Amino acid sequence: MSAGPYNYSYIFKYIIIGDMGVGKSCLLHQFTEKKFMADCPHTIGVEFGTRIIEVSGQKIKLQIWDTAGQERFRAVTRSYYRGAAGALMVYDITRRSTYNHLSSWLTDTRNLTNPSTVIFLIGNKCDLEGQRDVTYEEASKFAEENGLLFVEASAKTGDNVEEAFLETAKKIYQSIQDGRLDLNAAESGVQHKPSQPGRTNLNGDQAGVKDNCAC
Amino acid sequence: MYATKQPSLRINQADLKCKNGCGYYGTANWNGYCSVCYRNAMEIERQNRPRSSQARPESSKNPVSEFTKFEEKKKQQTDKKTKCLKNLTVFRKSSSAADYVKPEKHINRRQVNPDADKLMTEFLCKYGHFEDNLRKDFLKCVHHFTNQLCREINVKPIDELAETAQKFYNLYNSRVNSNPLYQNLTPEVKADLEDFFEKHVMITLYSWLFCPSSTNDEEKDLSIQDRIRKLTWVNAQHLDCCISETSLEVRDLVFTAITDLLGMDSVKAPQEKLQCVVKCCRSVVEVLQQCQGGPVSADEFLPALIFVVLKANPARLKSNILYVTRFCKEARLMQGEGGYYFTNLCCAVSFIENLTAESLNLGEQEFDDYMSGRVTTVSAWDSALVACEGMHQLCEHLTLLKALKEQHVTIQEEKNKLMEDIKELKNHIKSEVASIFERTPLTIKPRKTPLPCQADSKPSTGSLMANVALAMQSADKSKLNLNITPCITATIPEKVLESLNSSVFDECNLESPEDNTNINAVLSKVNYEIDFSDLSTDTSTAEGLTPDKRISPTPSFTADPFSPIGANCCVTQEPLIPLSVPLQMPSGKESERKQNVSVFEDVTDNQEEETLLDKLDRVQDTPVTNLPLPLNPTKTEYTGFSKQGSKIPSIPCNTGDFHSLETSNSKRD
Repeated sequence: MSAGPYNYSYIFKYIIIGDMGVGKSCLLHQFTEKKFMADCPHTIGVEFGTRIIEVSGQKIKLQIWDTAGQERFRAVTRSYYRGAAGALMVYDITRRSTYNHLSSWLTDTRNLTNPSTVIFLIGNKCDLEGQRDVTYEEASKFAEENGLLFVEASAKTGDNVEEAFLETAKKIYQSIQDGRLDLNAAESGVQHKPSQPGRTNLNGDQAGVKDNCAC
Repeated sequence: MYATKQPSLRINQADLKCKNGCGYYGTANWNGYCSVCYRNAMEIERQNRPRSSQARPESSKNPVSEFTKFEEKKKQQTDKKTKCLKNLTVFRKSSSAADYVKPEKHINRRQVNPDADKLMTEFLCKYGHFEDNLRKDFLKCVHHFTNQLCREINVKPIDELAETAQKFYNLYNSRVNSNPLYQNLTPEVKADLEDFFEKHVMITLYSWLFCPSSTNDEEKDLSIQDRIRKLTWVNAQHLDCCISETSLEVRDLVFTAITDLLGMDSVKAPQEKLQCVVKCCRSVVEVLQQCQGGPVSADEFLPALIFVVLKANPARLKSNILYVTRFCKEARLMQGEGGYYFTNLCCAVSFIENLTAESLNLGEQEFDDYMSGRVTTVSAWDSALVACEGMHQLCEHLTLLKALKEQHVTIQEEKNKLMEDIKELKNHIKSEVASIFERTPLTIKPRKTPLPCQADSKPSTGSLMANVALAMQSADKSKLNLNITPCITATIPEKVLESLNSSVFDECNLESPEDNTNINAVLSKVNYEIDFSDLSTDTSTAEGLTPDKRISPTPSFTADPFSPIGANCCVTQEPLIPLSVPLQMPSGKESERKQNVSVFEDVTDNQEEETLLDKLDRVQDTPVTNLPLPLNPTKTEYTGFSKQGSKIPSIPCNTGDFHSLETSNSKRD
């Protein structure tokens, strides 16, 4: 399995932003912890905050950076944004204040990332329907106005978590295919692993390893 | 310099200060300047030197007279470096590189590089098994890159150097991935080789690329250090982080994190520095896991890291961060654990730099008070640090006590075990002894019971009395009926004094000159005679006593004449007799002596030589009659006694050293 980390074509860097306590880390854990679950073929990396997924037959390593959401760190957390291909903007549907802050988060993201960065809006804690403070329609409208992808998810139950991450990856991959994303630019947040001589052999070997994988 | 100064016994404070008068201390190593002024001076010198030999774009634009202007420009460039860094596509001007004469000193310095050997060893160790061509290619690339950078080090601003470095990393990366030489390598090895390429070059050039004199990195270091020093009062509560400052485990982990962070300054390669940051951050994550349990989010992580940075106040923090930012492979900083944690560290540092009252949830006034030192707090952390020594000792002592307690318990257990063992052994011995007794009944006591004169004998002096009785028996057997005054000392000396003018009755006294009557002289003679006879009787009676014992009704004694008990009896028996003399009937040697004494009395009193001589004869006769008895039985059995017998006269009768004998007796009993 040592060859695992190299068994992918792209690396996408994501950041998760949003107010403190909206469940950014929980979403990340929900997503990455699955690497030990049944869908083994998709999950090889055991690296820090990473998971390897497959989009259109291409193995993509998602590298997700959790960020501190406190207002006081807002000014200094800009370096997180550098080179992010995808930004997951999270709010808590049971707390209106977290929703109200979205516009400032969005401004930061737009300013600090390149235009091709995919921004995905996630309304977390949708399992707490009874305490809902922000309606789906309202958030959906906000997303539409700002050209964001939107989904309501639950880190607790895992609803839509996978979808949000995968959808973002698909969108980024599409940008690459369209040529909107410059792979050579360090800021793109995408690193392409060029196909190498001897790669086919390696892939064969890795497939064998994968089949033997106990997970 | 002190050498140039007038010799004086005392060095003034001013003498120690920087020659520039900036207020800092200078050292002889820096020509009497402080580090900053020395650096500036060297800078000026350096600016002057290359100008003479070669034209440099910067220096030509910025004459030395306008040095400050030049510095300003440098600063601006440094500020822009982040932007420049991003621009990977910018290429080095190859023409300009060709213009510069390669300074030979770099080559020399590189050869002198202390890490060169280490690097080569590591290289051979890691890749020694590779093909020669591959290794040669690697080293060729390394040398090419190193030389290239060397040429540019003093020429280009640091940001351009960083770009060059990044470009070279990429070049080597594409070479590794495209050159047929490398095609047989696995991706891991390729990545490893690229990393080593970076490491090799950076360690070689470390002293020129780290905190270069052309930048104000050092100033930044000093300012952040000063800043952190001013912020010592900030505690975990201010940062809203849940580090429990009083917990010992947490504090240990925080110390580990701090140590890791401090270690960043001591390694050279950017990747190694990054690794230190990762280690530090992992410890921080552990701290948080310890404090709150469960997964750690960035919301909690960043404040904790800020706290650690504040408490660590690492040396050359800013220089290290800038160095890594400039010369670490870009991809490494953009992704992976190292990149993530390094980004966090940068955030933490910039938070500290821009820290305001608001960011600590404090009022403006309160913040100012803290910063100016008007108000000081004793935070749990500080007090923990102060109490650290005591706490550590306390903890150590507690552990020591615990260990001692455990030891004590085991010792107790072992003691009990030992006690049981002893008991067992005792019982075992008892039973053994009992069985032996059963097999061979050996009892000494019965021998006392049939003895006479038991009415008089006290239980403690049982054997003594027995001996006395034995002596009596022997006396009876020798048929000596002597009426002797019981107390020698009381009666005799008085009388002697009367007649012999104050002298204790003794052989010596008898010899000593006196008022001398003829009778006295005769008496002394007589006394000698008596003494000799006395000795002869002594031995005879002594020998005569034991056979009596043997004849005595004790059956066991006859059974085992060689037993120490028997021998002891012989010894004790003799000296004890005189002591018992005042109480009991005189017997044995002493009785003879008494006889002599009484004879002497008689002589002194009556002054009749004839009677004395008669009496002496009688005295001498009595043992003779006694003699044949003891000698008859097996004489060989008496070796023990005869040995002891020679000692008998030496046992002091006069001193009355009774205790040792008694104890030995009681022991035997």
